[in-house]
Amino acid sequence: MTDSPAPIEEKQLPVPSAESVAVAAEAPGRKWAIPGSRSFTLSEGNLFLVLAVVIGLFSGMAVVCFRITIEWVRLSLLGSALAPSQMRVVLVPAGAGLVVAFLVQRFFRAARGSGVNQTKAAVYVFDGYVPFRTVIGKFVTCSLAIGSGQSLGPEDPSLQIGAGIASALGRRLKLSRDKLRLLAPVGAAAGLAAAFNAPISAVLFVIEEVIGTWSASALGAIVLAAVSSAVVMRSFLGSEPMFRVPAYTLAHPAELLAYAVLGVVGGVLSIAFTKIIVYFRPRLRALPEWTFYVQPAAAGLLIGLVGLKIPQAMGTGYPYIDQALHNQYTWEILAVLGFAKILTTSASFVSGTPGGMFAPVLFIGAMIGGAIGGLEHHFFPRLSASVGPFALVGMGTFFAGFLRVPITSVFMVVETTGNYSIVLPVMISNTIAYLISRKYQDVSLFDLLAAQDGLELPSMEEQREQVVLRVEDAMRKPESVSLQAGDTLARAIEIAETSPDGVLLVRFPTGRWASITKQDLRAKASERPKETLMRDLLSTDRLPVLHPDQRLDDVLRYVQGHEVLPVVSRAGSRKLEGVLSLPDILAAYQKPS
Amino acid sequence: MTIVPPNIASRYLQRRVLLLSLIPLALLFAITVTLARTYHVREAGLVQEWYDKGNADLIAGRSGDAIEDFRNALSYDPENNLVQPRLAEALLADGRVTEARSYFLNLWDRAPGSGEVNLDLAHISIRTGDADQAIRYFRSAIYGSWDKDPAQQRRNARLELCKFLLQRGRVSDARAEVAGLAADTPADDADLLEKTGQLFSQVGETGRALSEYEDALRINPRQDQWLEDAGKAAVAVGDYTKAETYLARADRENPSDEIAGLRDTVRDVLDGDPFLPGLSDSEQAERSWRAFQQGNKRLGICTGARDAAQSSGETSPELQDLIKEALDLKVHVNLQTLGRQSELRNQAMQFVFQVEEINSPGCGTPDAADQALVLIAKRHSGSTP
Repeated sequence: MTDSPAPIEEKQLPVPSAESVAVAAEAPGRKWAIPGSRSFTLSEGNLFLVLAVVIGLFSGMAVVCFRITIEWVRLSLLGSALAPSQMRVVLVPAGAGLVVAFLVQRFFRAARGSGVNQTKAAVYVFDGYVPFRTVIGKFVTCSLAIGSGQSLGPEDPSLQIGAGIASALGRRLKLSRDKLRLLAPVGAAAGLAAAFNAPISAVLFVIEEVIGTWSASALGAIVLAAVSSAVVMRSFLGSEPMFRVPAYTLAHPAELLAYAVLGVVGGVLSIAFTKIIVYFRPRLRALPEWTFYVQPAAAGLLIGLVGLKIPQAMGTGYPYIDQALHNQYTWEILAVLGFAKILTTSASFVSGTPGGMFAPVLFIGAMIGGAIGGLEHHFFPRLSASVGPFALVGMGTFFAGFLRVPITSVFMVVETTGNYSIVLPVMISNTIAYLISRKYQDVSLFDLLAAQDGLELPSMEEQREQVVLRVEDAMRKPESVSLQAGDTLARAIEIAETSPDGVLLVRFPTGRWASITKQDLRAKASERPKETLMRDLLSTDRLPVLHPDQRLDDVLRYVQGHEVLPVVSRAGSRKLEGVLSLPDILAAYQKPS
Repeated sequence: MTIVPPNIASRYLQRRVLLLSLIPLALLFAITVTLARTYHVREAGLVQEWYDKGNADLIAGRSGDAIEDFRNALSYDPENNLVQPRLAEALLADGRVTEARSYFLNLWDRAPGSGEVNLDLAHISIRTGDADQAIRYFRSAIYGSWDKDPAQQRRNARLELCKFLLQRGRVSDARAEVAGLAADTPADDADLLEKTGQLFSQVGETGRALSEYEDALRINPRQDQWLEDAGKAAVAVGDYTKAETYLARADRENPSDEIAGLRDTVRDVLDGDPFLPGLSDSEQAERSWRAFQQGNKRLGICTGARDAAQSSGETSPELQDLIKEALDLKVHVNLQTLGRQSELRNQAMQFVFQVEEINSPGCGTPDAADQALVLIAKRHSGSTP
């Protein structure tokens, strides 16, 4: 507090809300420059954004190389035909499985699995640390596994490759721990955007599944990384959407009923698929370690045997998704393909073969969706459209139910197909599948996998659904009237004597608030004339003001150092809604929910 | 979030690391460019390889293999405009009409103005029995865009449409399309001129048919089939002089009994027609007299056969009238009277035409002279010599 009066300037000063104080605290506003150089100055925030673009460029090119390498491996091992020769189908996945297992066991243990839960673990457990060795391991082993026909996809590994590159760059730059933690999701978004050619879905996935918040600082970097990565990927591999789809129109609103049925089936099947993986994975991991050298080969042999009859169930399966989208299979065949893929993908994944789940999930969704559509069309030709649109919606449905990312799943369908016309059925079907999956499978797959690995990662779903305590839940009505800036010291003493509160709030005409304790007031009264105005006594004091809808978690930091803070209306900061103190907040948290 | 302000040294380090990261970035860029280029070349090679194999299989009638080949090609270049229609055609050739239709409809969605796609959809609609839809696709193909030789492709599509319409018996629709085709046919395309002529014949426009045949024959005068078609068209329009010329040339190029028979008939017409311009009265009388005698002979055959065929022994009123008229005319008609009286020549010929127009199984097969008289009757019905 100071005695120097400054009533005139007060009117020009904006009232600092707690939010603006927070932003001010976070914004660095500190330029850094090399001594003697005036041309190159960059705040740490801006440096972070530049770094996001660099990460996007690195990740984009790494993913392009990754995808091309997978294709080269496939061409070399399985040949250029969609249906390879029988000898290759049986021998290649099994043989490559042995090599992959050896590489993983001896050199790249962290390369096992999908990569999504590992990236999440890096953010929450390892301070954003993803070893660069894992990036190399993921690249090599996944190329070999996916290229040899294991039923896995390149998207989740791309996500981890992106996160690993970002983490390595961050470490080189000796960034702070907070920034390092944030870099992994930035790289993950970049990797996923390039792998899917879908920057929006990548950003949403990382927010929905990895970081769980829409913080502005994170969002800017994630978006920049995803966009730059997607631009790189498109410049090398073309800008066409991943899948080509026929034009679709909703002929009649009753068609939505058919899509609702698809949502139910998709939800139930996604639970079943999750349970298969969650059941078998720990059991295979519990086997003696020497079996880890042969498990991918055994999975490869099984896949090869299935592939003899159903070659579509091998590899990523993208060409077959395209065929399903163009009505090139009957519903019976689609159903067989869907279930065969569940079998082969489960085998690949639980055996510890490195590779992702996104591509198989899209494949299964497309096939099951097409099958449901074909079946419905058979019995109710007027109610449902042809197989193609159902296959398309099915992709999103299974994605939403299995990976538990409802928003991403909608955008993923729109982005990977470049088709917006299907969005209504996608939203309905995805939501139903997601709700069913959420209802009957408490924990999402990636969190379950992390738990099996001994890591308790935060559930983004639970965070989203958690009851949030707000200021209005903790604030209380002030027990005494507030002092006015125009009150004299004598009047203030008079009010203070009748007030039970130890601290009195002082309201200024501009909406600024200040506070003064009874003790200070009495001291001032002994030093100053009784006619002294409160505004002269508290000319520079300024309290942070709170609003009733603010989260208690957020306001905790402002309460520190103040006995009480004013809670004011957003309609006008002069209107006092209540007061809040640290004991009030603690009391609110202690209330049973 | 708290940011630890970097000190000057760490700022310098950060900047240096950031700038140094451009080196691996450039290296990665070079690797990626090399990999991508190599891969794209390989991809293009694979597309061509599978496309060629698919075409070979399709030509050899192995449509199942061709489907797989084209699908393999498309797995490397899903948007390839050459391969996509070929896959659909292979599906069609393999009898997988529904799949082919679906595939073509997808192509149509992306390129509704494509002539190729519309033509293929027309073929599918024909196979599925949807004639109206087929006609719509044909017309879209005719007015659509074509990558290669659009004018020729449009004419071929219209030619197919004409044939389809004629198959469906929609002659009036076909007539308009044939007229369009004729207008669009280049003067130096003898094959198409000939085909257009045939189509004109089928829609009953024999005059225009003859004109098209003649245009075709100007380019290739010794094509025996075209000569025969022209001869027949000339017969149909009643231009026996031309007909005789074309049939004689056709018979010379490729002798056949059918052409020879028709040429004889034409000659009989030319030799027997009393109404040909430039004939003297005696020549007209001579021809009328021969016709009258042939008519009486024919009438005798018809009445004789009929008498034998009918148990009642009665003849039809029409035949009775003709017998009565024959008896009346026989009194007056002879070579001299015919030479003097043009009215009598006309009366005698009208009688002959009525006799020759009797269409009864009892009269038996008309001989060459009768056929010639029928043609003369058709040519001059209502005319006066």
